[in-house]
Amino acid sequence: MSQENKGVWVFSESPQLMLELLGKARGLADSLGTEVVVVTSTEDGNKLVQSGADIVLTMTDPAFGSFQVDTYTDALENLVTERKPDILLIGATRNGLEFAPRLAERLKTGCVTEATRLELDAEKKYLLMDRVTWGGNLVETHISKTKPQIATVAKGLFSATPPDATRKGEVIKVEPKFKPPSTKLVETKPKPVKGVKLGDAPIIVSFGRGVRKKEDMTLVEQLAQTVGGVVSCSRPIAEDLRWLPEDQYVGLSGQKVSPKLYFALGISGQIQHLTGIRNSRVIVAVNNDPKAPIFEFSDYNVIADLYEFVPALIDAVKQLGKT
Amino acid sequence: MVNILVLMKQVLQTADLKVDRSTKTIVTQGVPRVISETDKNALEEAVRIKEKHGGKITAITLGPPEAKEALREALAMGADEACLLTDPLFEGSDAHATANVLAAAVTKILEYDLVLCGAYSEDLFAFQVGPRLAEMCNLPQLTYAAKLTLEGDRVIVERDLENERQVVEAKLPCLVSVVREINEPRLPTLMAIMAASKKPTNVWAATDLALGPEELGFDGSLIDIVRSSVTVGERRRIVLQGEAREIAPKIAKALVQEGVLKAA
Repeated sequence: MSQENKGVWVFSESPQLMLELLGKARGLADSLGTEVVVVTSTEDGNKLVQSGADIVLTMTDPAFGSFQVDTYTDALENLVTERKPDILLIGATRNGLEFAPRLAERLKTGCVTEATRLELDAEKKYLLMDRVTWGGNLVETHISKTKPQIATVAKGLFSATPPDATRKGEVIKVEPKFKPPSTKLVETKPKPVKGVKLGDAPIIVSFGRGVRKKEDMTLVEQLAQTVGGVVSCSRPIAEDLRWLPEDQYVGLSGQKVSPKLYFALGISGQIQHLTGIRNSRVIVAVNNDPKAPIFEFSDYNVIADLYEFVPALIDAVKQLGKT
Repeated sequence: MVNILVLMKQVLQTADLKVDRSTKTIVTQGVPRVISETDKNALEEAVRIKEKHGGKITAITLGPPEAKEALREALAMGADEACLLTDPLFEGSDAHATANVLAAAVTKILEYDLVLCGAYSEDLFAFQVGPRLAEMCNLPQLTYAAKLTLEGDRVIVERDLENERQVVEAKLPCLVSVVREINEPRLPTLMAIMAASKKPTNVWAATDLALGPEELGFDGSLIDIVRSSVTVGERRRIVLQGEAREIAPKIAKALVQEGVLKAA
């Protein structure tokens, strides 16, 4: 690895994710004794300095007004080639996930998508990037043989640093070159099915094949209403039975959730599903099969018929409110 | 007439993977190998395009010799020709090295208008090979297609993003990655399965693609995996069984005490 690369860079077209990455980048940069650089076209540079950036590179060309993979690849290629960062963190939005590998290929460097943990090797100071593979049951630690070391990171893994008005930094206007893009945005439309936002829900009541009929979903909805949660489901309910829209199932290929409380009602607990609920704080699983795999991965293992247990739980929660 | 290349990956059926918690290993024995779901959607979309516009579909996979099984299924679903890229030298390739082999095959085939693939594979979920290949072949990339329309030499795609659908277009040739919402892959008929055995399958190794060992496998990779470990859930697994009326209040109370539930 080349010695000359330095600095921890951050890019995300999502302002929230940018701040989270900036928080993580600050920690990494402090350990490395180097600087944090944020690349942006939309955000206020001074605010980013307050949130931990040493240098903000602001791309002023209107072409960068909204994310477009070709122009952003060209721009970052130019900035990275000129300034040679050590580490580049990119927000793992869908746009970020199509952008990072393309940029990495342009730069002929490694990229780890949806890293779940970023640490520095104590001795050699390179970035150890964990990612979850194989249906969620294997954690691999990757390193990049080349620089910059690129990782994409999903929302909610790291915390933004609270702004400090006294922090000093530099905001630099840059005009990286870019070619005319090969794709054209025609329009944006709302998504055809509007599901609930599972990502932000503190309590999720999720169900699987243990719910026998579509009408019985009302039972699940009643519990959700009582505990102040939202309803979600396992993959077969959305993809095979289509009782709920596809953006409402939880799992590796669906929504990954991190509620305080997650109810898994009649969900057997395939790896696919377990991966999606990994970050829940407390999991309550209800299943009449004591051997259901979900029970390996749950805090409260309720071995019961959900048709009996759920109404009882609704009553119990209501009862608690009265005392 | 549209010549379409479909990139497919054979994966272990992740839903059937189990963890042996005593040995902390993943049990792969007896787990079926299948075409990764979104790649199947890519193939289905190719077949639909061909039905409308005519053309030829070539299914390409990189993998062990057993991946031929996946190609047979692709031929039964409607691919005209298949191409198996297999060589012990390919083993251990990361996304870059994999895309490099695929790019060599795509370049060798030469006659194509559209490259289709799944947005991700069901085993690794890395989202990398499509964009890396597009970059290597200097193709426009249209990712996460939930809808695809062909109008002359233009491809119009509805990109399925977190909060919206983005309608984006590009000129052929280009690469389109698809998500599962795009279609419902067909089940091949018995006739189609039988006809598939008569369709041609090319088998190419590194030398056929003029690739040297330094570009392949571990040596050709930009990422190195230094550690891997099976995750075992650190959950409390408190068992409660018996009368629902008796367990329910206990749990409700415990959840309130933990601060994760408010009494209604």
